[in-house]
Amino acid sequence: MPRFDYVRAGSVAEALRLLAEPGLTSRPLAGGTDVLVYIRHERAPFDRLVDISRVPELKIIERRGNEVVVGGAVTYTEAAESPLLRQVAACLVEACLTVGGPAIRNMGTLGGNVVNAAACADSLPPLTCLDTMVHLRSLAGERTMALSEFIMGPNRTAIRAGELLTHFSFPVPPDGARQVFIKLGRRNAQAISRLSIAAIGRLDGQGRADYVRLSPGAAMPTPRRLTEVEAMLLGQVPTDELLIAAGVRSAEVMIAVTGRRWSTEYKEVAIQALAERVLRRVLVL
Amino acid sequence: MLIEFTLNRKRVAVEAPPDITLLTLLRDYFNLTGTKEGCSVGECGACAVIMDGRLVNSCLVLAPQAAGSEVITIEGIRGPDGGPNDMQENFITYGAVQCGICIPGMIMAGEALLMHNPNPTRAEIRTALAGNLCRCTGYQQIVDAIEATARSREGNR
Amino acid sequence: MPEYQYIGKPARRVDALEKVLGTAKYIADRKLPGMLHARCLRSEVPHARIVKLDVTPALAVPGVRGVITSEDFFEHGLYGFPVKDKYMLAYQKVRYVGEAIAAVAADTPEAALAGVQAIICELEPLPGVFDMEHALDADAPQVGPDRPDGEHPNFLDKLIVRKGDPLAVWEQSPIKLEERYTVGPQEHAYIEPEGVLAVPTPEGGVVVYAPNQSPFINHGNLALVLNLPHNLVRVIQPPVGGSFGGKDDIIYESSAQVARLALITGKPVRMVFSREESLIVSYKRDAMRMHIWLAADPDGTLRACKFDGLLDSGAYASESSFTAWRASIHAMGAYRYDACHVDITAVYTNNGYCGAFRGFGNTEVCMAIEQAIDEMAYKVGMDPIDFRLKNCLRLGDETVHGQRLTESVGLAECLMAVRRLSDWDRKRAEYTRRDVACNVSTTNDIRRGIGVAALYHGTSLGAEGQDYANATIAIEQDNSIDITSGLTDYGTGSRTVFTLIAAEELGVRPERIHMQRPDTDTAIESGPTVASRSTMLGGNAMRIAAMNLRQTLDYAAADLLGCELHQLIRHGEAYVGPAEEPVPWERVVAHAREMGLALSAHGKWTAPRINWDHHAGRGTPYMAYHFAAQVAEVEVDMGTGNVQVIGFWAAHDLGKMIFPQGAYGQLYGGIAQGLGYALMEQITFVNGYIQETNFESYLIPTAVDVPEIVGTFIEAPFSHGPYGAKNIAEPAMVPTAPAILNAIYHATGRRVRDLPANLERVLLGHDLAKGGSPRACKLGLHIA
Repeated sequence: MPRFDYVRAGSVAEALRLLAEPGLTSRPLAGGTDVLVYIRHERAPFDRLVDISRVPELKIIERRGNEVVVGGAVTYTEAAESPLLRQVAACLVEACLTVGGPAIRNMGTLGGNVVNAAACADSLPPLTCLDTMVHLRSLAGERTMALSEFIMGPNRTAIRAGELLTHFSFPVPPDGARQVFIKLGRRNAQAISRLSIAAIGRLDGQGRADYVRLSPGAAMPTPRRLTEVEAMLLGQVPTDELLIAAGVRSAEVMIAVTGRRWSTEYKEVAIQALAERVLRRVLVL
Repeated sequence: MLIEFTLNRKRVAVEAPPDITLLTLLRDYFNLTGTKEGCSVGECGACAVIMDGRLVNSCLVLAPQAAGSEVITIEGIRGPDGGPNDMQENFITYGAVQCGICIPGMIMAGEALLMHNPNPTRAEIRTALAGNLCRCTGYQQIVDAIEATARSREGNR
Repeated sequence: MPEYQYIGKPARRVDALEKVLGTAKYIADRKLPGMLHARCLRSEVPHARIVKLDVTPALAVPGVRGVITSEDFFEHGLYGFPVKDKYMLAYQKVRYVGEAIAAVAADTPEAALAGVQAIICELEPLPGVFDMEHALDADAPQVGPDRPDGEHPNFLDKLIVRKGDPLAVWEQSPIKLEERYTVGPQEHAYIEPEGVLAVPTPEGGVVVYAPNQSPFINHGNLALVLNLPHNLVRVIQPPVGGSFGGKDDIIYESSAQVARLALITGKPVRMVFSREESLIVSYKRDAMRMHIWLAADPDGTLRACKFDGLLDSGAYASESSFTAWRASIHAMGAYRYDACHVDITAVYTNNGYCGAFRGFGNTEVCMAIEQAIDEMAYKVGMDPIDFRLKNCLRLGDETVHGQRLTESVGLAECLMAVRRLSDWDRKRAEYTRRDVACNVSTTNDIRRGIGVAALYHGTSLGAEGQDYANATIAIEQDNSIDITSGLTDYGTGSRTVFTLIAAEELGVRPERIHMQRPDTDTAIESGPTVASRSTMLGGNAMRIAAMNLRQTLDYAAADLLGCELHQLIRHGEAYVGPAEEPVPWERVVAHAREMGLALSAHGKWTAPRINWDHHAGRGTPYMAYHFAAQVAEVEVDMGTGNVQVIGFWAAHDLGKMIFPQGAYGQLYGGIAQGLGYALMEQITFVNGYIQETNFESYLIPTAVDVPEIVGTFIEAPFSHGPYGAKNIAEPAMVPTAPAILNAIYHATGRRVRDLPANLERVLLGHDLAKGGSPRACKLGLHIA
């Protein structure tokens, strides 16, 4: 007796219909890299997987005006190889290239990474920095919300039964903004982030920061921009003192959110270094 | 359910339950035991195969996900005479093989790399192998073998 | 140096073709009609009395064909060497999480799991010992077996080395060091999990396909616990997917379980571990705590070493007595001292159990002593390589054990080779210039450092036991040549080494030779395949066997050519006599057959006698030593503690290289294992529960963690080794961790004296305890 059934959707409409079919619990299957590990250890919490990995509408990567749209079933490899994303979302591309190894990147999807919502998920810091909106659809209609609202806690999101994360959208960052992502793991591949961080920044003609985005990963239960730190830098010349202070402030914000845990002694020091480092790389010429 | 796909360049159809992995399908339904099970959670790459031109861990692919796809396993990597191809030959020549359990996955990773990047640097080869664990070789002779294969294929182009 | 045709020349590994094609059949790839699947009921607690064990409900589960407990074995399956303290299935007590209690054979893996779940097993938890420091406390719970000699039951063994009075020297010494170092357990992490297949035979015996290192030990155990005559048990080694010391006891145990199930059910039975089962159940490298005192003169002459070590054997002895002995012999490093005491104490705890792993005690102590030596070099203000060169063992020196080294001592050459290859002096000077600023770390600082470690490693078993090996060689009717060895190849390359040796001695192409798979029915017992002894022991045996056969063929050739033996020369395979007309080898073979000569031969080689006085702590522990030096170059991220090994150089005196690709493969692979030990491999027992149960949490190096390695071999031949060969497999990994740790110190000015040097230890100077739960283990035990 199989533990669950499998069905492949050809379109978003079909996927939504399958997900909403009464009498059985259906869940979307994107890349499967999280689901298959989960069901190795736990009872499958569904009766049927709806494979959405080949739905063309979910595979788009395109620019619409001043916005970039990325489908939920886009794999890490597809994102990393996209000329558009390389141009406008370099920090996301860098993050995708640090996920697992090549075989994981070929199957795992951005939508899956976000819906799984691990605190250490590598796509979250860059997507957060990019002010990403999450677009959801069900037979009841569409919903759109900020990524930071969508993720409610470790492995918890606002997604409802029968709903599909169809795509992400984010505004094209201003011209000349530089983007950086750094992942700190216990080895150089196939590693869970011990800490990660993404930053976007730009200097104006006077050498003052006129655009700053900073978001750490594996640091807090939900992803968020370190707006407190961004505010310190906006309009300022990024001196050594200021960058060091920004690192210190990053650690303070993290601890204010998480309190002191077993790992804080380490992360407090490391996030200072990483925050200072990414800000330096995007703001100092 | 009936799963139809292309396996090592042959159209196949197999009746199998929907909840097994591609790894189980290959090993237990097709008796293609060259694809190895090392961890079952996508960490070691011993089960790596090429699906639609991309390296995947067959332990993290549901068997029905392969439907309609083109799958190549180590049994599908052969030279014109049915013996080892040039990369397999180089694995022998360069001493890339010790216990051998990771080798099918390594060769799949090497072939997948050369499909997309025919002239990789040693660093790029290492990155392409980063999801395939080897406990015997320290990877160096595996990198040697793939590098030599790329060079000779480029030369013959 | 004599010129050889095959020895030391590039060659093809004899079993590589089937491995690159994917056609090699490992245990999990083997199936027989009607084969049953076996699975164990395993303990979920670290220490308990078995109050009730009723397997009858399991027998009622559909598809279940047989269930066994310790009652199904002779003397409850008690086994073990050198200490007999473990049962093939737990008897009366369980002593670690994962210990097998009962085994079920069923038509499918699902039915086997259902059978396991149906067994009624009541365990009464007992207090456990989880800290080796408290294992010998008077009130410590008893883990080990009763000790009629009055010793604490948790005491396993104590090994000593004695020369002079080092503490007295230390007290008086102007330059002294006293430091503590620790290493945790290490998992072998062979990519092939454990598995065994047993097939019952018509005459009431059993054939066991087992990826064990030493089939003859398995054979002996099986005959004992199954209560069968030896001729009814046969053990065959299929291709083995890695071992590194790890596929001994655990495979013997699984072998006994499936063999008994096969005998009971009359069907083939296979058991294959999941990765989780492998990590939870299998033995590990032992954890050690080490305390070192060193004394030196201001001119840099080492004077004294005192080394105290405590070794956590876990719940069972396995090989720990031998591990502790090898640790004791090597604890002071490859240096001269006026005085030296070593005390290594091994104890029982409930932290899994520990056994053999590459380096076997030396890996553990080398991490400590080579850091301590480095620290002394700084104290006396000498370059670390100069300091080692000043004190290292050289030809003619006497070791602290009292052994005069009369040949094959290449350590100084190794040190000089890595100095040159790594551009040591330039890098050392360049990276040292920042040392003054080391106390003030700026967060964006990436610092480089370069460090060295030296090594000596006794060849083969030494005084652990009788040291001999056997080989056979025979020419078949089709003129192919079959060879056998009692020593096995689990990825090491020894089958190729034996093939090359036979080819060299016979003067025939290696392609003619077929090296049979290890099989207790066809090969001759040769002691265990451990201790990097195959090339020396098995190689010598093969050389003798081939020389014996060669002599027979030479007689036939001389007879055929009508000449004297000394007039024969060889041209390729062909024989040439005074008439200068080459005669094909096949014709010589045919002539030998006509002459009625036996075209098969046997070779046995026994190592020279050595002696070790365990009470005096003195003697000649090994017949010869492998010497080596390794240099690591690192980049340390001062803001995060991240360490990258960016360069690595190794020079090893292996006596003589026989199979180059194999020797380099051992070298690179050993270094990668040492790199993992140094930086990332961590096993955490929390109250006896292991927390790392798959490869997402037990991390071993990937291709992007290991740098390009530059290796070179120094050949200081050993007169008793085949063509001068000693060994390489274990020594390759032993000095790697201390070389990396010494480089980290050079980069940061901070010592990491506990392994692994993870992010926290490098950044903060200490590890952080995450805590843990029994949950991690239970998950792994209940996967479908």
